[in-house]
Amino acid sequence: MAEQTTSEVPRYITGPEGLRSEEMILNMGPQHPSTHGVLRLVLTLDGETVVNCTPVIGYLHRGIEKILENRSYMAGIRYMDNSDYLSPMLNETAYVGAVEQLMGLEPPRRAQYIRLLTNELQRIASHLVAIGTYGLDLGAFTPVLYAFRDREGIMDLFEALGGSRFNVNYLRVGGVLHDFPKGWLDQCHKWLDQFEQHSLPELEALITGNEIFDARTQGVGYIDPKQAIAHGITGPILRASGVSFDLRADRPYMAYREVAVNVQTRPEGDAFARYRVRMNEMYESVRLCRVALDKMPGGPIATRTPIALRPPRGETYFALESSKGEQGIYLISDGSEYPYRAKIRGPSFVNLQIMPELLRGHKMADVVAILGSIDIVLGEVDR
Amino acid sequence: MTDTAQIIIHFVVTLLFALLFLLTAATLLSYLDRKIMAWMQDRQGPLHYGPQGLLQAPFDVIKLLLKEDVRGGVAKDSIVFRLAPVIFFAPVITAYVVLPFSPYVTGSALATGIVYYVALSSLDVIGVFMAGWGSNNKYSLIGGLRSTAQMISYELPLVLALVGPVMLTSALAPGCTGAHPDLNTCGIGSISFTQIVAAQMRPEAPWLWFVLLQPLGLLIYFIAGLAETNRAPFDLPEAESELVAGYLTEYSGMRWAMFFLGEYGNMTIVSAITTAVFLGGWSGPGAAVGFWTGLLGPFGGQLVFNIIAIFWFIAKMTALLLGFIWVRATVPRLRADQLMQFAWLILIPLTLFNIVLTGALLLLPLGQTGVLVASAAANWLVTLLFIFGLRRVASVSPFGRLPRWKRAERGRKVVVTAPGRSPAELAGSR
Repeated sequence: MAEQTTSEVPRYITGPEGLRSEEMILNMGPQHPSTHGVLRLVLTLDGETVVNCTPVIGYLHRGIEKILENRSYMAGIRYMDNSDYLSPMLNETAYVGAVEQLMGLEPPRRAQYIRLLTNELQRIASHLVAIGTYGLDLGAFTPVLYAFRDREGIMDLFEALGGSRFNVNYLRVGGVLHDFPKGWLDQCHKWLDQFEQHSLPELEALITGNEIFDARTQGVGYIDPKQAIAHGITGPILRASGVSFDLRADRPYMAYREVAVNVQTRPEGDAFARYRVRMNEMYESVRLCRVALDKMPGGPIATRTPIALRPPRGETYFALESSKGEQGIYLISDGSEYPYRAKIRGPSFVNLQIMPELLRGHKMADVVAILGSIDIVLGEVDR
Repeated sequence: MTDTAQIIIHFVVTLLFALLFLLTAATLLSYLDRKIMAWMQDRQGPLHYGPQGLLQAPFDVIKLLLKEDVRGGVAKDSIVFRLAPVIFFAPVITAYVVLPFSPYVTGSALATGIVYYVALSSLDVIGVFMAGWGSNNKYSLIGGLRSTAQMISYELPLVLALVGPVMLTSALAPGCTGAHPDLNTCGIGSISFTQIVAAQMRPEAPWLWFVLLQPLGLLIYFIAGLAETNRAPFDLPEAESELVAGYLTEYSGMRWAMFFLGEYGNMTIVSAITTAVFLGGWSGPGAAVGFWTGLLGPFGGQLVFNIIAIFWFIAKMTALLLGFIWVRATVPRLRADQLMQFAWLILIPLTLFNIVLTGALLLLPLGQTGVLVASAAANWLVTLLFIFGLRRVASVSPFGRLPRWKRAERGRKVVVTAPGRSPAELAGSR
C-alpha cells in the first residue's frame, strides 16, 4: 500500500512578541506501546494539544476477505478467528450464521445455546482485555495482569472445548464441533462463580472510584449520541453515549430469541462511561452464561450437512453483537463451493473513524486514553 | 589517635559507605521493585538467577555493561547527549554527603543540610532536559520538557513541606515560645539534618517524631518526592503509554543504566530525607549511645550503637521505599495539566497555609507543650481535610465550571431504540 501521510503541513504560529513557533508532527506508531497493535496516528501537535490526527491503517492487512473467497465455506471458519483476534468465537458465530442464513439452515437448539454460552464467555474475555489494557494505557500496571489471569480461565474452557486456546475453530456450519467434554460444565460453573465473586470485585476495587482514573476518564473523549449514530458506531461505545442499541436485543439471532438481554447503557458518553458499560456487560454476560447453562437443551449438537457446502445462488448479510459492536458478514454465493464475495463489517474499523474528530483539542496524554476506550483490534481493522 | 587521622578515617568510612550503599541499594531496589510488584500482581517476578531470582540485579548490571553503546542518528553523538547521564547521576552521589545514617556515618554534618540537598535535587532536571534535547527525538523532547516543568513545579512543595519541621526545631529549643521569646537563650532552630534528628530524640520525649506533629508535611513531602523521582503516578516524563520511554527513548546500555540507577538513587535519598526529618532518623529501641558505651567501653560502644542506628535508619527507609513500590502498583498516571494543577493549586497553597498556621501557633503564649499540642492538632486536622477533601477538590474544576460529562448527564434519557427486525424478515429479504 502506498505510503500515506497527513496532507497538512505544520503551520507556523506567530506569537504576540513576534516569537515564531511551529506545530509538530508526531508519528505515533506503527511501533508504539499503546496503539493496540500497528495503528499509526499522525498527530499534529501544538505543544501538548492535538490539532489534527490522521490514522493510518493497513499494517496488519492479511487479506482475510480474499482468503475467505478462496476457501470452501467450512475452511473459512478458521480464518475468521484471526480477524478480531480477541473474540474469535464471536467472529466464527457471525460467519457460520451468515452461511446458515444463506443455506436457509437452522442449527439445533442445543447448538444455539452452546453458541450463546461460548459467545458470552468470549465477550467477557474480550472486555477483560479491553479494561486491562485500558488501565495500562492510563499507567496502571496491575489491572492488566489481573484481567489476563481471569481471562486464562476462559482460555482453559475453550481449550477443553475446541482443542485450542486462542483460535478455537469450534463452530461448524449447522452446529458446533464437539459436545461438552466430561466435567466441562462444572468447570464452567466454577469459573463463573469465582469470576463473579472474586475477580470482578477485585477489578472494581482496583479501578472504579480511583480518583486518578476518574480524573483521566471522566469528560474525556465525549461522543454525542447523534455524532455516534452519524459515524455508524456500534457496541459499548454507542451504548455509552446513551443509545440503547444491542443486536442481541434489537435484532435477536439464534438463542437470543429465547434469552432476554438487559442492554447496558450509560448517558455520559465519555471514556468513563465506556469503561462502565464494559464492566456492566461483564456482569450481564455472567448472568447470560448462567441462563444458558440452566436452559441448556438436549439433543443433537449439529445438523447433518454435506461435506462440500454449496449454498444456493444469492447474497446475505448476517450481523451479531460482537464485543466491540456490530460484527457483520456479507456473503454472495454463486452456487459453487466457494463464496463469490465475502465482506466483513468490522466494528473496530467503523468505530475507529471517529478518532480524528474526537482527538482535536485534547491533550496528547488523552490520545491513548481515548484510543484505549474505543478498544480497537487492529487485526480486524486491517483484516 | 590524632584529630587529623580521625578525620581521614571518618572521611574514608563515610565515603565508602555512601558509595557502596548507593550502588547496592539502587540495584537491590530494582530487584525489590520487580519482585514486590510481581507479588502484588499475582505473578512470580524474577526467578531464574539465584534463589528467588536474587541475582537478577547483578546480572542486569553485567548485561548493561556489556551492551553496545548505540548512538545512532545525526545530532545524537553531540556532547549534550553523552553528558546528560553524568549530570543526572552526579547530584545523586553528591547528595549522599548529608544523609545522616547514624551519628558517625554522616559524610558531613553540614549546618545548611536542607538547603544543600534541595539545591542538588534541583540539579537533576538539567540532566533530564539535556537528555531530552540531545536525543534528537520528538518523544524525548516532549518527555524532557514535561519533566522540566514537573520537577520545577514539585520542587516548591517539596521544600515548603520541610519548613514545618524546621520551625518545630526552633519551638523545641528551650525558651523559644510565647509572645516574647528570650532571644539570648533561645535557639533559632536548625536546617542541619543531624540537628533535626537530635531534636526528635530529646531525652524527655524520644518518641516525639515530627510525623506526629507534622503529618501533613510528611504526606506532601512524600507526594512531591514521588513527582521529583518520576515515580508513578507522576511518571509522565517516561510515560510508557504515550511517550514510549520519554527522555530515555534513545538511551541504551550503561548510559541508560546511569539514569536508571540515578532514579533509584533519588528514591533512596527522598526516603532517607523523609526518615531523617519526619521519622526520627536513627532513633529506635537500642539506639542509645550512653547504654552501649557504659557496657562496652568507648570504642565498642560507639561501634554497636552506630550499627544499631544504621539499622533503624535503613529499616525506616525501606518501609518508605515499599510505599513507593506500593503506590506504583496501585494507581494510574496523571495527565500533564492535572499534574501541574495538583502542584500549583493544591500542594503549594496547602504547604504555605501550613507554614502560616504553624508559625501563628508557635507565637501563642501557651508554653512549649501547649504550642506543640496546638500545632499538632491543627496539622492533623488539615491532613484529614486534605485526605478526605481531595476527591472533592480534584473533581471540581478551578473555574467553577462543571465538567462537560456532568453537564451532559443532566436530563438526558436513552434517546434512540432501533426498530427491531425479526430474523425471519431478514432471511426473507436475502
